Amino acid sequence: MNIKKNMIATFLGIGLLTSPSFADNVRIGFHAPLTGFAASDGKSAQNGALLAVEQINAAGGIKGDILELVIYDDQASPKESVPIAQRLVEKDKVVATISGSYSGATRAAAGIFQESGVPYISAYAIHPDITRAGDHVFRTSFVGEVQGRAGAKLIGEALGLKRVVVITLQNDFGKSLAAGFKEKAKEFGIEIVAEYEYSIKDRQFGPIVSKVRSDKPDAIYASGYFFTAGPLVSQLRAAGIDAPVIGQEGYDSQKFIDIAGPASEGVIITTSLDRDSKVPETMNFIAAFEKMSGQKSDMVAASAHTAVHVLANALRTSGDGTSLRDAIAATDLTASTGHISFNALGEVGKAVQVQIVRDGNWHHHSVIDDAEFLAAPTE
Amino acid sequence: MIYLELVVQGIVQGSIYALIALGLTLVYGLLRILHVAHAALFTLGGYIGVLVTNSTGNFPLAMLTAMIVVGFVGIAVYKLAYEPLLEKPPYIALIASIALFIASEEIFRILFGPYGLSYTNPPLQLSFELLPDFYLKQGELLVIVGSIIMLTVLALVSGKTRMGVSWRATVTDPKMAQAFGINIQHVRYWNFFVGSALAAAAGVLVALLNNLVEPTMGSVTSYKALAIIVLGGLGSIRGTLIASLAIGIIESFGTIYIGHLMNRDAIAFAFLIVVLMFRPQGLLGAK
Repeated sequence: MNIKKNMIATFLGIGLLTSPSFADNVRIGFHAPLTGFAASDGKSAQNGALLAVEQINAAGGIKGDILELVIYDDQASPKESVPIAQRLVEKDKVVATISGSYSGATRAAAGIFQESGVPYISAYAIHPDITRAGDHVFRTSFVGEVQGRAGAKLIGEALGLKRVVVITLQNDFGKSLAAGFKEKAKEFGIEIVAEYEYSIKDRQFGPIVSKVRSDKPDAIYASGYFFTAGPLVSQLRAAGIDAPVIGQEGYDSQKFIDIAGPASEGVIITTSLDRDSKVPETMNFIAAFEKMSGQKSDMVAASAHTAVHVLANALRTSGDGTSLRDAIAATDLTASTGHISFNALGEVGKAVQVQIVRDGNWHHHSVIDDAEFLAAPTE
Repeated sequence: MIYLELVVQGIVQGSIYALIALGLTLVYGLLRILHVAHAALFTLGGYIGVLVTNSTGNFPLAMLTAMIVVGFVGIAVYKLAYEPLLEKPPYIALIASIALFIASEEIFRILFGPYGLSYTNPPLQLSFELLPDFYLKQGELLVIVGSIIMLTVLALVSGKTRMGVSWRATVTDPKMAQAFGINIQHVRYWNFFVGSALAAAAGVLVALLNNLVEPTMGSVTSYKALAIIVLGGLGSIRGTLIASLAIGIIESFGTIYIGHLMNRDAIAFAFLIVVLMFRPQGLLGAK
């Protein structure tokens, strides 16, 4: 087992230093890609989770006990996440675990937590099969298809654009977004004029950019992470293509704006975090995260932060005959990414935030809040 | 017109492959070592290019600095990693090279952070209409022109100068060259310096096209460049150049027309396999 980091981070609220010495720590597991290609997302997610733990302990912990995060690096790889999951269950004896990782790693680990009866929350991995591992697995972000549907509604209805080129990232993230988008495209009168795919390792999109220019679309629906979408958008704009680019939560990082520079202006995405929110939980998170990490907040940090709060809330309400699993299932909580509740499959129901880049920052564009339209799968 | 654009995009990509793969061919020709860690020098070049451009605003200076610094790092890699292993079978050096490459990704991450770096004011981003409805970005033009210039200079040096003659003599028969009074050690230093400097130039250019350097930027390059030198016929410089352009153009068309079946790496490797079925020695390799 290759574990590069095995950090046990304990955050003590000042008030807790005087708490009785027999107080037990409540240990929860956390795994994220802290090295490798996804290390930047892993780092943000870890900071979001640590911030939540710090806030929870400062506010008195879990019924007086200190919340402790047991952190592992999974390199976004199932090869790593499986032994990590076994270790968390058998050796670290955590009460529950949060995945701050991508779909591959999360999906592989989910089965192990389910078998061991340890509740598991996916903070932002979007593959539909994750929650299908069983009744102990939950997800606090949108499943890919739901966000794809939101993209179709945004482009076809709110923006009224009809001729769309779809550029899809060739992995479970991109594919499930494209599937959701295509499922609803007709409903909103969208004609998909062309579709291209690229691999997660691509940063040079010269051929696709040339072809898109000759396609002359009204809009471009492109899935990707900030490290692919940043180069893609900057290359599209440099080639003189000014059709609106619509992305998703993978773009949701200040780093996207750094990479694409002025080309990022006007890019619209569907995501979970509203930068201009007036909801106290979200406003507090954004301010505290920037203070703690020195980075602007992003979707993965907010998602990990939300997942820890959901778990802490369930830890407080469980006991006295209510299992932790049932307490999570009964969640009804406002957190940094919105109001969280789960359906029968453990999928979240919440509104989709639409953000736009203006003057080098993400800002509020609109909200898609149609529970029926956004309904996640229930089985 | 779209076909012409795709060919040109393929040439842009192929030029970059050529700059990287050439260093690999030079090392293989001289020492019979598969220098996987070469891709780490490409990444280092990208980082230096962005850091110097951002702090001085001078892109040509950044390019020059990256090439010189990385050239010396290349010599250090030879001196520290390969020289002590020259007497051992070549796979030992290959293992050392792979280890060095893997370690380098994490070193970049620790030194420069996991988020990658971008130019704050990316230079040469404007596009111009070369022909009606045919655009080229300044950066892309620089890639093509820059590669032609660098490769021409290299060809002239190896063909016309004393240094070049001793280099070719050493590649052909090191013992004989030594007997004629050629300092093999110097030849090896130059070899690593030039190869690494070209990789650094490629790194700076890729950073310009993508406006992003990240710790794992060399991961695709590491195996793609190996595929290219195999395709070209191991150790053949002309073969490497032809293979680079061929792979660049095939990827360019493949991405558009069969991209939904295979991603661009798979397309490149499928092409490699097909060629090797008919020419196991590579495009220009000797039988």
